Amino acid sequence: MNSGRNGARVCSHAQRSNRQNQTHTQARGRFAIRSAVVVCSFMVLAGCSSIKAPVPTDPDALADYKQANDPYEPLNRKIFTVTMKVDKWVLHPVAKAYVWSVPHPVRNAIGNMITTMNEPSVFFNDVGAGKPRLAGDAFVRWCINMSAGLGGLIDVAKMAGYPHHNNDGGITMANWGIASGPYLFLPMGPSSFRDGIGYGIDQGLSPWNYVPRGYGLVSFNWAYNMMGIVHSRSEHLDDLDALQRDALDPYATIRSAYQQQRKAQAEAIKNDHRATVPLWYHVKNRQQG
Amino acid sequence: MKFLPGRRFVLRSASLFMACSLFVAPAWAAQSARDFVNSLGTQLVTIVNSPISLPEKREKVLPLLQKNVDIDAIARYCLGRYWKVATPEEQKEYLQLFHQTLVGAITDKLGDYRGVSFSIGAVTSSGNEDSVETTLVRPQQPPAKMQWIVSRASGSEKVVDVIGEGASLRMTQRQDYASYIARNGGKVSALISALKRQIANHSAAQQ
Repeated sequence: MNSGRNGARVCSHAQRSNRQNQTHTQARGRFAIRSAVVVCSFMVLAGCSSIKAPVPTDPDALADYKQANDPYEPLNRKIFTVTMKVDKWVLHPVAKAYVWSVPHPVRNAIGNMITTMNEPSVFFNDVGAGKPRLAGDAFVRWCINMSAGLGGLIDVAKMAGYPHHNNDGGITMANWGIASGPYLFLPMGPSSFRDGIGYGIDQGLSPWNYVPRGYGLVSFNWAYNMMGIVHSRSEHLDDLDALQRDALDPYATIRSAYQQQRKAQAEAIKNDHRATVPLWYHVKNRQQG
Repeated sequence: MKFLPGRRFVLRSASLFMACSLFVAPAWAAQSARDFVNSLGTQLVTIVNSPISLPEKREKVLPLLQKNVDIDAIARYCLGRYWKVATPEEQKEYLQLFHQTLVGAITDKLGDYRGVSFSIGAVTSSGNEDSVETTLVRPQQPPAKMQWIVSRASGSEKVVDVIGEGASLRMTQRQDYASYIARNGGKVSALISALKRQIANHSAAQQ
């Protein structure tokens, strides 16, 4: 069988379009099955009576309850326990092995690449938040790092004065004035109704999820996602170890830290009032006017 | 009589002085908070970077923390609404245990760092508290930004909180304690025995 670049088979136009249609239908089918599973599992969980915590009557306890913003605490705690078990037996050892076997500069380069690959999603969110200067930063970072930075492995943009900033769908919605909604602990970590939806939007904004099937990039995408999980876990090895050792209730500590951090991240984006035009433009205009 | 200043003059100058001091006071406070964090930070970094052994470092840091950190105020904040529920004996015991826990948590970190330096950024004031931004530079690690909250409520300047990556340490600790007490029958004694266990584990791990 003839093979073209990237493993794409050389075939006639008709064959290709036929296969493409097939792949699309398969993908749609898979998506439908997956969403059905998710919906069903939520329905099963909703059927359990113990997913919602009773609202306290004592005024002080009620104030605490409102501040924690966690009405689904019993369910969240169950997911938290399972996640922590998986982490203890799988993710933690893998991340430790990764740190042990991969030298620091290489890990750094992988971290840079993961950050750069996420830059398109940051860019779209900056645009959504109405922050042209930040969007420009993300755009320039993407262009410089993907070319001069050898596919994102070297953070050249940072050296050129364009450091990375965090932005995602949850933060954008926060800046639109959408409340976070109840806290959620998902298998991928702490979240909320708003941030969970934001995560879905970010997946849609990331160009890597639009790579057509049959190209070598799909396997790259898988490797990239798995690498991303292991790498980000490895960055928090010491923090999470210390937290599990020192906190009396790690669940509550993570919840509080997450909620505060998200608030601060949204504030950081909101408080970026840098002008889009350079300073000399204003000075010149003032002189003329 | 002519040479004596009139009442109007005295009043005017007094009000002018007060108005000036109103404007000057926050700036002066911000400057002093900056100097305070700068001096405390320099002393800490000098101890951390010095080539002495870890127990010696701990010994040197201890009086520095006790003098410059308002541990009692942090302890009361962390207990939140349960401070009022606790009996005087429990309050006393809790304060003592909290001192040990906090100092232990800070001195634990001493061995991790070597060759660190720090720089001070913006200072913002709100009420009786100033927030001083600092950046800690550690070798082989990304720089860590944190804000030191300095309060003058106790008469002199003291650190009452540290904010790292947007999360306030005392707030996070308060939620941790509140949740633990609430899940253990709302009793402060449960927290006290948990803190005792933690300190025992901690000293066992050090030996």
